[in-house]
Amino acid sequence: MSLVAAFLVPGSPLPLLRPEVPVWAGLVAAHAQAAAALAEARPDVLILYSTQWLAVLDELWQTRPRVQGVHVDENWYEFGDLPFDLRVDTELAQACIEATPALGVRSKGVDYDGFPIDTGTIVASSFLDPAHRYPVVIAANNLYHDWQRTEALGALAAAQAARLGRRYAVIGIGGLSGTLFRHEIEPASDHIASTADDALNQQLLARLAAGDAPALRAFVADYAASARADMGMKHLAFVLGALGEAYRGATTLGYGPAYGSGAAVVRFTL
Amino acid sequence: MATGKILAGFLAPHPPHLVYGENPPQNEPRSRGGWEPLRWAYERARQSIERLKPDVLLVHSPHWVTQVGHHFLGVPHLSGKSVDPIFPNLFRYNFDLTVDVELAEACCEEARAAGLVGKMMRNPKFRVDYGTITTLHMIRPQWDIPVVGLSANNSPYYLNMEDGLGEMATLGAATRRAIERSGRRAVLLASNTLCHWHFHEEPAIPEDMSREHPQSYDGYLWDMRIIELLRQGRTREVFELLPDFIREAFAEVKSGAFTWMFSAMGYPEMPGELHGYGTVIGTGNAVMEWDLTRVA
Repeated sequence: MSLVAAFLVPGSPLPLLRPEVPVWAGLVAAHAQAAAALAEARPDVLILYSTQWLAVLDELWQTRPRVQGVHVDENWYEFGDLPFDLRVDTELAQACIEATPALGVRSKGVDYDGFPIDTGTIVASSFLDPAHRYPVVIAANNLYHDWQRTEALGALAAAQAARLGRRYAVIGIGGLSGTLFRHEIEPASDHIASTADDALNQQLLARLAAGDAPALRAFVADYAASARADMGMKHLAFVLGALGEAYRGATTLGYGPAYGSGAAVVRFTL
Repeated sequence: MATGKILAGFLAPHPPHLVYGENPPQNEPRSRGGWEPLRWAYERARQSIERLKPDVLLVHSPHWVTQVGHHFLGVPHLSGKSVDPIFPNLFRYNFDLTVDVELAEACCEEARAAGLVGKMMRNPKFRVDYGTITTLHMIRPQWDIPVVGLSANNSPYYLNMEDGLGEMATLGAATRRAIERSGRRAVLLASNTLCHWHFHEEPAIPEDMSREHPQSYDGYLWDMRIIELLRQGRTREVFELLPDFIREAFAEVKSGAFTWMFSAMGYPEMPGELHGYGTVIGTGNAVMEWDLTRVA
């Protein structure tokens, strides 16, 4: 079947845990818009790539049919708990695992009770699919994979989803500029850490909207270093890989700070 | 109340493979052993703990990474299952630990007084990281001594190494002051590997020791150089070399536990006792002890 939706979402738990904070309300509303668009797209499966699920050996894919529990973020524990309940499309995950050796990547399935699902995955699925309607495929961020390899993994996941006849949505979970405040702040006073970071983020969002993939890739290479971008924007690489020739542009549904860092909800145009 | 003191410090690395190799009842996976020299090293360290009889164990773990400040476990009792996100096939450990909250609060207060950002972690559902648990299990599997758990603020990576490790030194001095005013007899645990270059694929049988060796010869040479200096008590030289060691051997001591511990101990120029060295998936790990009661 086909790619029916694609998004970038931040993965910070702050808007989910403290939706009443005015400065984070825009991101909450943007997630609601994205959730509505996702429902309209009627996906069979959500393919998730989160910068916060770190791997160093092999590429990891969640293969436990159902993962449930309560997660407490290691930084923002005082704001509350993060319950989760995810159904995994194990057939698609297994297909991805079996396909990656062709990229020179060894993959492993993760099927363990109590495995720590990362904050970004939980936040994104809670915002975009609060009723737990869609199964997911979750891919780890191997720290040794560069932009190109990550883009190839996104393309591979999309190809396997298409091969299996899925209507699939791809969601890259991660932030924009990465400078966080090093001291405690009142949430209401949150803002992007610097005007330079803000300007860089705005440029990135404009480039995303323009739909020129080579220009976007060239920009991100500099942006990632200048803005200390979250994991070099590998979540964007994964989505661009999945989109392939289908990338034509994007709309920013919401943009704002997450404790000084940049956060955006972006819907790709299909 | 008598003035508290630091009895000893241990370099106590946390590869979950060591717990896996030991097959304790708390860990779900079963093994046929493996990494014996390091596990025997920890057996010797356990004997020292038995002799020292501390009131509390303080552990600084690089796998509780915090971004805003230095955090301290602040719940009296924590339990649950800790699954290693990197090695879930090896480490699925049911933990149950008691926290010395009073001392943790004192450490946090002293850290704040020293100008650091300090935070108490009060969420009872918090999942303790595998670094903290592995180090504590390997040093005291009975779990009968209260603990203080400290996070690794990411400042050495986020700022620059020198400033970040400077924060860890400040944290160490603050920890020492807190211990002294608490009256506790404390042991410090620096949960750090040395050279951190590692293999990128795991053997089919993880405990197949025919596959275990240093990933990097240069890293191994660095480890031996640092260990030899530590064995000779040449602490000042070690800290002069530390930035080069970290850069060239990708040493995990960058995360701060080693600096925190030595700062708390006052950078003693005393020989450290090497209980053992070994590699785990190619990384260099030393279990070492500095028994401060011998110079008291």
